[in-house]
Amino acid sequence: MTLGPETRAEIERARGRYPRAQSAILPALWAVQHEVGHLTPDAMTEVASLLEVTPSEVEAVSTFYSMYFQRPHGRHEVLVCINVSCALRGADGIVDHLTRTLGCESGSTTADGEFTWSSTVECLGACGGAPAMQLDHRFEENLTPDRVDAILARARNGTSAGAKRSVRQRRDR
Amino acid sequence: MAQKPPTQPDDGHVAVSIDGHETRVPKGTLVLDAAAGLGIHIPIYCAHPKMEPVAVCRMCLVHIERFPKPQPACATVVADGMAVTTDSAEVTKIREGMLEFLLLNHPLDCPVCDRGGECDLQDFTFRYGPSVSRFPITEKVHFNKAVPLSEHIELDQERCILCWRCVRYYDEITGEKEIVLEQRGVQTLVTTFNEQPLRSSFQGNLPEVCPVGALTHRQYRFVSRPWDLQRTAGVCPECSYGCNLNVDSRDFEIRRFASRDNPLVEDMWLCDRGRYSFPKWNSTERVRRPAVRPRAGRARDTAVGEAIAAAANELRAVIDAHSPSAIGVMGSAESTNEELFLLQRLARDVIGTRNIDHQLGSFDGITSEEHALGIAEIEECDALVVLGVEPEEEAPVLTLRLFKAQHKRGRRVHRVARDADPAGVVKAMGATTLTGVIADETNREHAVLVATALARKGAVRRMTVTRGVNGRGAKDLGVLPNVLPGYRAAPPGGKNGREILEAAAAGAIHALLITGPNAALERAGELLDRALQRAESVIVVETRPGKVASAATVLIPGHAIFEKLGTVTNIEGRVQRVRPALPPAAQTPSDTRVLAALAAELGAKGWERSDPMSVNRALREAVPAYAEAGSGGRALWTAERVA
Repeated sequence: MTLGPETRAEIERARGRYPRAQSAILPALWAVQHEVGHLTPDAMTEVASLLEVTPSEVEAVSTFYSMYFQRPHGRHEVLVCINVSCALRGADGIVDHLTRTLGCESGSTTADGEFTWSSTVECLGACGGAPAMQLDHRFEENLTPDRVDAILARARNGTSAGAKRSVRQRRDR
Repeated sequence: MAQKPPTQPDDGHVAVSIDGHETRVPKGTLVLDAAAGLGIHIPIYCAHPKMEPVAVCRMCLVHIERFPKPQPACATVVADGMAVTTDSAEVTKIREGMLEFLLLNHPLDCPVCDRGGECDLQDFTFRYGPSVSRFPITEKVHFNKAVPLSEHIELDQERCILCWRCVRYYDEITGEKEIVLEQRGVQTLVTTFNEQPLRSSFQGNLPEVCPVGALTHRQYRFVSRPWDLQRTAGVCPECSYGCNLNVDSRDFEIRRFASRDNPLVEDMWLCDRGRYSFPKWNSTERVRRPAVRPRAGRARDTAVGEAIAAAANELRAVIDAHSPSAIGVMGSAESTNEELFLLQRLARDVIGTRNIDHQLGSFDGITSEEHALGIAEIEECDALVVLGVEPEEEAPVLTLRLFKAQHKRGRRVHRVARDADPAGVVKAMGATTLTGVIADETNREHAVLVATALARKGAVRRMTVTRGVNGRGAKDLGVLPNVLPGYRAAPPGGKNGREILEAAAAGAIHALLITGPNAALERAGELLDRALQRAESVIVVETRPGKVASAATVLIPGHAIFEKLGTVTNIEGRVQRVRPALPPAAQTPSDTRVLAALAAELGAKGWERSDPMSVNRALREAVPAYAEAGSGGRALWTAERVA
């Protein structure tokens, strides 16, 4: 497997930003994950050769951080906050609703491959809009079951390109 | 409170007090080492004498006066007036706490662990740990046991205490970075990329850097307890680098080779080829009985004395019928210096032949520069030129020394083609004050050209990688047609190994005296067959059955390298002792005694003292460089000495 030219260019740019190649592993893995959806051994080998580090170093970094996916994920990622503020504002109900509507437990992927969702994340830092969740790197706040349905329907009809853009914008600031 | 030591003038040393004992140590010394110097033991897991400190295991925390918190002794540098405490209630509590943590998920399977009896986790728990854990044994987090990382190494993930030593070994010592820690927290695991097998040629060092039983030798799995092993200091017989090692045997069989740190030679790292080569020394395929098999007459097993007498008769017959030059003598690069010294004396002084060698090709003119570069001195060269892949293939541990020179000392290492253009090498080198040139012994002539070209820019030292564990000793001691012991010129006319075989095949040489095993000889192939067939008399002192042993007209069993006392000389001229770790496979006298008895049968006088130590004394008298080297030092050659 070969990474796309855009991803390769992105990795080269990341390499140029740091004095040590190891430092560029994190942004390089983001670029790979956005293109491929998760981190494959082939892709990590390619990152290693682009950055002139060993594949083992890349894999060590990728497994340390829980937000890099080692296995295929759904097209969209939903993270639901159940920390104090969200819990007080009814996060449990949101979790129950998601379990019902998506038809799978937290930590798994829907049968149609659309959503991978999790409610075991730490505080998202969106207490002001509790209960909150994060869909493809975008906060969705003041959730109700109806709002959740609308958000998921929107995502189902759209693409995951939105996620890519939002992450890039944040990083390039 | 420890008293502040009185201040003294600056001599590069600082005064520290540890548990009330005062000492002066060089600036930059670690608290750990300063304590060791006083005989005060501080337990460590992540710290390793050959690696940079990381201070991740927290086992070595000690109290240092005026520091607000305990400090890691493995990463704290001494300062003048520092007062360290390692025996307080505070430190005891820290150690107990750390050990309780390390044992939280440790399987406590010492009874079936290969490391039991030589495990730092076991030992420190016994010495410093709490006697009970507050954590129930039924609630441990479990991981995979017996994960093969390669054909050599087995990993037990639950026994690992995450000290990082294996990761740092691959990072700092070999640079191959094959092992990493993956995941995090309690789930952290030692593993390789995508679970690929290890490919390094130096994997065998991993179980030794591992402080616990997580990384173990598959070859040593469930083989022995350390206290059942008998340990003999030895030298690795696989190549001429001369790595020091411990031969661990049990029930008269070698069970493993373990490293024996000599910072001047292998720096405690062995290669897999050497480390895992030991089963061949346990082989039962051995020459065990003396035999006499005359060309005309009946072959029979016999007593060793009779075999020696028969050998003497055959040699005398050839001398009488032809001349001493009708006898060719082949020594072996696997013999000890003492055997080689006696063999060349037997050939030259008793038999009277100039046809003696230990290899096939010719080995012309030695210069004092040939062996000037020592192994440890590689680190002192600004730049190193390695000609071809042969030096590192022949002596793999050389690669680690080059890596250390390059990455710890910042030296430049240029690996160039075997026949690289000397002018091109000079150009690529840039400015240097001292360059090391390393070449294989089959490439000496080209090494001279490169060294000569480089000498115009600065000093040059050369190293020649010889073949066979004692290939260097065979040359130093004149088991060559063109030089006598100590590289004094021999009278001309002697035949080299190939010429001896050719002459024997052509019927010009009538008797061969061969001491084995000789790998070089076997490379002669069909020429060797013809020579063995044609010679009237083939007298063989040999350990292994094979072509040479089966062609012998007189066969005398030899002693293998781990069955005898003596010295061998490594590529840098270091004269190192080998000792018997196993009883001899054959009930015959040692090779030196056999050679001396043969000389006596041929009428020589003064060969009575033929035990290895006496021969060694005679050798030192004859070769002053060996007297100076003693045991463990280097035999160095000066221009005057060679002339």
